Amino acid sequence: MVTLSAQHLVKRYGGVVALADGNLEVQSGQVVALLGANGSGKSTLSKIVTGVVAPNEGQLLLDGQATSFASPLVARRAGITAVYQELSLVPEMTISENIWLSHEPMRLGRINRKAMQQRTQALLDLFQGTIPASLIPTTPVYNLHPDERQIVEILKAISQDPRLVIFDEATASLDSSQVTRLFELINRWKGEGMAIVFVSHRMDEIFRVADTATVLRNGSHVGTVDIAETSERQLVQMMIEGATAMEREAREPVAASAPIRLHVSDLTTEQLRGVSFELRDGELLGIGGLQGQGQSDLLLAIFGAIPFQGRLALGGKEVHFSHPQQAMKQDVAFVPGDRGNEGLLLIRSILDNLMLPSLREYGVPLRMQRARAQAGDVSDDLNVIMSSLDAPVNSLSGGNAQKVVIGKWLLRDPKLLLLNDPTKGVDVGAKGEFYSLLSNLRQQGTAILFYSSDDEELLGLCDRVLVMHDGRISAELAGENVTRENLVSASMGAAHHEAKPPGASQHEEPTA
Amino acid sequence: MTEAKAKRSSSLPNLTRYLTPPVIALLLAIALFLFGGVISPGFVNPNQAINIVRLAAFLGIIAAGQTLVIISGGEGIDLSVASIVTLGAILTFRLTDGQNELILPVLGVVLLVGAGIGLVNGLGIVFLRIPPLVMTLAMAGVVQGLILQVTRGQLEGDTPDLMSELIAQPLIGPLPGVIFLWIGLGIAMWLLLERTPYGKMLFAVGINRTTATLSGVRVPLVVVLTYAMSGMLAAFGGFVLLGFTDTVFLNLGGRYLFPSIAAVVVGGTLLSGGKGSYWGTMSGALVLQLINSLLQAQGLPEATQSIILGVVLLVLISIYGRQRAFRL
Repeated sequence: MVTLSAQHLVKRYGGVVALADGNLEVQSGQVVALLGANGSGKSTLSKIVTGVVAPNEGQLLLDGQATSFASPLVARRAGITAVYQELSLVPEMTISENIWLSHEPMRLGRINRKAMQQRTQALLDLFQGTIPASLIPTTPVYNLHPDERQIVEILKAISQDPRLVIFDEATASLDSSQVTRLFELINRWKGEGMAIVFVSHRMDEIFRVADTATVLRNGSHVGTVDIAETSERQLVQMMIEGATAMEREAREPVAASAPIRLHVSDLTTEQLRGVSFELRDGELLGIGGLQGQGQSDLLLAIFGAIPFQGRLALGGKEVHFSHPQQAMKQDVAFVPGDRGNEGLLLIRSILDNLMLPSLREYGVPLRMQRARAQAGDVSDDLNVIMSSLDAPVNSLSGGNAQKVVIGKWLLRDPKLLLLNDPTKGVDVGAKGEFYSLLSNLRQQGTAILFYSSDDEELLGLCDRVLVMHDGRISAELAGENVTRENLVSASMGAAHHEAKPPGASQHEEPTA
Repeated sequence: MTEAKAKRSSSLPNLTRYLTPPVIALLLAIALFLFGGVISPGFVNPNQAINIVRLAAFLGIIAAGQTLVIISGGEGIDLSVASIVTLGAILTFRLTDGQNELILPVLGVVLLVGAGIGLVNGLGIVFLRIPPLVMTLAMAGVVQGLILQVTRGQLEGDTPDLMSELIAQPLIGPLPGVIFLWIGLGIAMWLLLERTPYGKMLFAVGINRTTATLSGVRVPLVVVLTYAMSGMLAAFGGFVLLGFTDTVFLNLGGRYLFPSIAAVVVGGTLLSGGKGSYWGTMSGALVLQLINSLLQAQGLPEATQSIILGVVLLVLISIYGRQRAFRL
């Protein structure tokens, strides 16, 4: 048995209060969801509980005893560990070396490799069927997709036989079958007496897995509620303070007469195996499916960032971009999936980030006043919360940083907007703003191609959804057919398809 | 909205924010100068100040291209600057042969040759994927070899009188032309880095090449251009240096190689790229020159001077590292 109680924790960084009044109660056999918008103090609270940071005030009771963890290692010895979204794996090491790093099974003073491989295999078996069978303990981590790395990260935490685990956005890069499996496992571990804290932005997941929810807002504890007696709307209300909850977008069908903005035929890359579709002006076309089925490749190829074969027509004119700059000249914009590594220059100012794609528009010498005015307008439109345009972009919260990535493309008035999982790790408030932005853009006639790993978004926002599997479009859902059931079954049906030998599947059209 | 306002008012300017490496370097330069007055009376006087700025100017001009290359990141460094400085000076010496009317056309040739050598550096680094350190080191050898091959050690020619008058002699009042040249270059470099698309792209390339590419920056073009410019600026440095030395020798630029890198780093430009300024490099050049002059004024042996210089560099860089850690 274990009980952990955090009472009135306070954490200040210089003059900034990251956590004003953090409270959390969790005990064996319980899953507590920790909720809050970005910047609400969730991460700080988790970090205090796992010994990563020390609180300035307040106390932490473990099994009724006041404790403080000097380091993550001390917390780990007390049976408390965490799975983070930002990955802590060493790419050059194998799966088993990563999992057992610093607590390798020993025998006669040496690492017992055999035991290590066997135990790793047993851990991998927990996710059997949702990860490729080709994953073995000796696979190096640099060969893994993001979802597989996340699973290794989870297994690494579990390998320590913890009494309390914090899952911090650990499902963000998992596909729906992996999430389902994780939840089955969480239920099992819960039954075995583990205490679990679950941090997620995905409402449906919280309702599927959690028993109670603790909500933080601006660093303070708002309340703890029983999930069974609470609605999604109530939770969101608690998180966003009075503002309206996110509404589902009413779908207005795009006139079939709208001109075709993008025509893709037989697009092939390393990962894509012949993808064809059309996208009209003012249409919001979703791309769904399990993670890593070629969705990113599709967007990158259209944007000219990776080489491809096949034909692309933009506004009826055949094009073949070999560099993003050419695509940008044709009013194509691309919001990448990894904003820190692909979307932003973290140490540069918000202004510099917003200007970057449009530098040539400002002439020589750069007309800074004009750039500043335009950047100010777009950041006001997007409601970016910042101290000034000159603040470095790494001073922003996740949601606000993502607004800068979007803003830098809005400044160019794109006719075709490519979005690679733009709401990943973004808080509910910012997501709502982003959804209304998309609907505004559509009304202005922007064609939008929108990949999301969040099924709810695709269902709520899109006119049509292309479900991808193994480098192809396995189903196209439109109108009435855009339902959760169809979406899930199309990605799962396609997953089933994978079991057949590649040669056999080559000539078959997968059915939705 | 209210939250935005609250955040705005809470971010009061605090002093450490302004204590950036270039400012530290500049303050250090001033402190060193005054300290010089303490340890050797008579050090602090206008003539000495002018002389130090004049000497720092040559280093500063030679380190301009190095600044650009280091900002471009990707382990960017240009070890060929010293040989190109030598080549620039020898070409000017030989081609003008002391004739004032040939100065401008020869300057054109010198700049083109420097840019050409830099261009080859850039192409090798971008397209053959040779690490900058190896590429520019090899290029340094090739240039040095070419100088020997062509001249066979016979350095014939002359320096036009006008050059030393314009560069090294007092031009306006007691101030020599090279100081004005340096200030002009400083303004030009600031404009280049902060007020042109190229400058903004250079920082982007130095910080994150993926983000840069996905924002439409032609990374290879920016990198090649940067090395070409470094070559050109090094050749210009050689041309200017000739106005000071009046004569040439085979290792004229050699002693500027490591100072050219040290000035950039002391000025707060990150060796990993993406962050830096030319006015930082200018401050760095002043610091290095002051240390040098101070040590010489003390009559210390060359070996001791070298040791002290090395230690000072290490201390300075560790202070910058600390400051970054603090700010994160």
